[in-house]
Amino acid sequence: MKLLRPYFKAVVNARKLLVYTFLLCFALLIYMPFLMIALKSIGRGWFGRLWLPPELTLDWYRWAVEVTNIPEITKNTLIIAALAVAMSTLIGIPTGWAFGRRKIPGKELLMSMILLPRMIPPIAYALGVAQIFYRLHLINTHFGVALAHVAICAPYAILVLSATFEGLDERVLEAAAVCGANPLRTFFHVILPLILPGILSSMIFTFTTSYNEFTLTLMTYGKDTITLPVRTYIAMGEGYWEVTSAMSIILVIPSLIVLFMIQRQVAPEKLVGGFKGV
Amino acid sequence: MRRGSELRSSLVTLLMLLPGLAGFFGLFFYPMMVTVVRSLRPEGQQVGWTLEHYITFLREPRAREVIVLTFVLSISSTLCSILFSVPLCLVLRQKLRGHRFFRLTMLIPRVVPGLIGALGLLLLFGSRGWVNLFLIQFVPFIDEPVRINYTIPGLILFYTWLYFPFTSVTTLSTLESLDPSIEEAADVAGANRWQVLRHIVIPLIMPGILAGSVLTFMAAFGAFSIPLVAGGNYRPLSVEIYRQIDFTPARWSAASARAMIMAALQVAFLTVYMRILRRPTV
Repeated sequence: MKLLRPYFKAVVNARKLLVYTFLLCFALLIYMPFLMIALKSIGRGWFGRLWLPPELTLDWYRWAVEVTNIPEITKNTLIIAALAVAMSTLIGIPTGWAFGRRKIPGKELLMSMILLPRMIPPIAYALGVAQIFYRLHLINTHFGVALAHVAICAPYAILVLSATFEGLDERVLEAAAVCGANPLRTFFHVILPLILPGILSSMIFTFTTSYNEFTLTLMTYGKDTITLPVRTYIAMGEGYWEVTSAMSIILVIPSLIVLFMIQRQVAPEKLVGGFKGV
Repeated sequence: MRRGSELRSSLVTLLMLLPGLAGFFGLFFYPMMVTVVRSLRPEGQQVGWTLEHYITFLREPRAREVIVLTFVLSISSTLCSILFSVPLCLVLRQKLRGHRFFRLTMLIPRVVPGLIGALGLLLLFGSRGWVNLFLIQFVPFIDEPVRINYTIPGLILFYTWLYFPFTSVTTLSTLESLDPSIEEAADVAGANRWQVLRHIVIPLIMPGILAGSVLTFMAAFGAFSIPLVAGGNYRPLSVEIYRQIDFTPARWSAASARAMIMAALQVAFLTVYMRILRRPTV
């Protein structure tokens, strides 16, 4: 038995080693593409069988800023995202409240109906959206592109906010009333602080969704409303991989910052799922 | 009096629901209807009804190829995500050192735009990418770069990379809500680790795995940006739709007909899938 103990230990250690190797491979698989992009964007003359670029340069970033007019495009992207966030939040608060606090006949069915835009491939209704917007002259306006984004952002906002309102404890509100707070005071001092995190997280989710949205933008953009993802796509078509990489890095950094910022406050798992039992 | 207040209350509810419903009908339902009507109109006209766009597309020999390709890509990437997510979640569940970092890593493909993921993967798996350098230098018998980009296995790999988080996050949350006493009971009853996993854990988390895989499947079926930039000659339905309106004159009716076929296929497949899903596991 004693003889066997080191053997068992070795087996346990081997298991651990295996597990960590697996995790390491997984992390490498996820991060290496970004590392490649980052290196591509700062390297010069990286051809042939070289592991690393031989020369470093910031030229591609300069190109990206000067030739493709990144500041203007970033401004477009941010304006559109801000409009989309504002509209989705304005839609999400009342509807989320109704879903969270009121008895609605057929609530489950209604909710899955509202979530339908997230299940049907966006390209299917993007076609219709584009045709309607052409008729209404909404193509190539910030408002139009943002409105198209709302189609996919609003269901998110409603889902997150209805969960927030559902979590609001009735007893706290009663306690506020018993303590003599008038409705206005209850709202500002009790309800608002309680629902603010929910509103914030819904805003962050809708912001990242709109910021990264590609399909709906591609169908509704014009030359004055090019966003970062669309510009990256165009640059990819032009074949300048180094400049494309530089633009991708500019595009991807805010998303990553947001992810690392919110991971402690709100469960980032919500970014992915959100359907209860499908 | 009481009836009046009830009426008022339900009126308020309705009023509050209105923005959401307006958004749904204005930005989803109405566009869908426009797409349906467009697909039934002759090209470029506002009057008349025709089924020719459906018939011409379905008669094309390429149509079957496109549809089969779409299903092959989405189904096999769904299977790959399940095969990859289950061990990953089982490992992450043990809460090893640094598991928070790996959890966050799992979400990265979902928070970055698909285009960027595609670009990075194209660079990584390209003929001059690190994967091929590694294969050439360290694996015997491989002297030439292996072609991964713009092939079907490569596309499946890219899809899996991008869409596995749906499966893994759902699986992980199911796994963590599992009652540990069940496994302890099995352990006490003399089952070894493998038996516990095979007969207790996997059946119990199966609903979570399936629910997550539905999400992965839907995302992969509708995938647009990845095949657009990394598909090469392989064009699944979504890209096929976009190709119709990419050039002038744009063929909106043809595109709409393809979009309707796509939506119908997805709904049909999901209905079948849900039937299987509802069946009790094991």
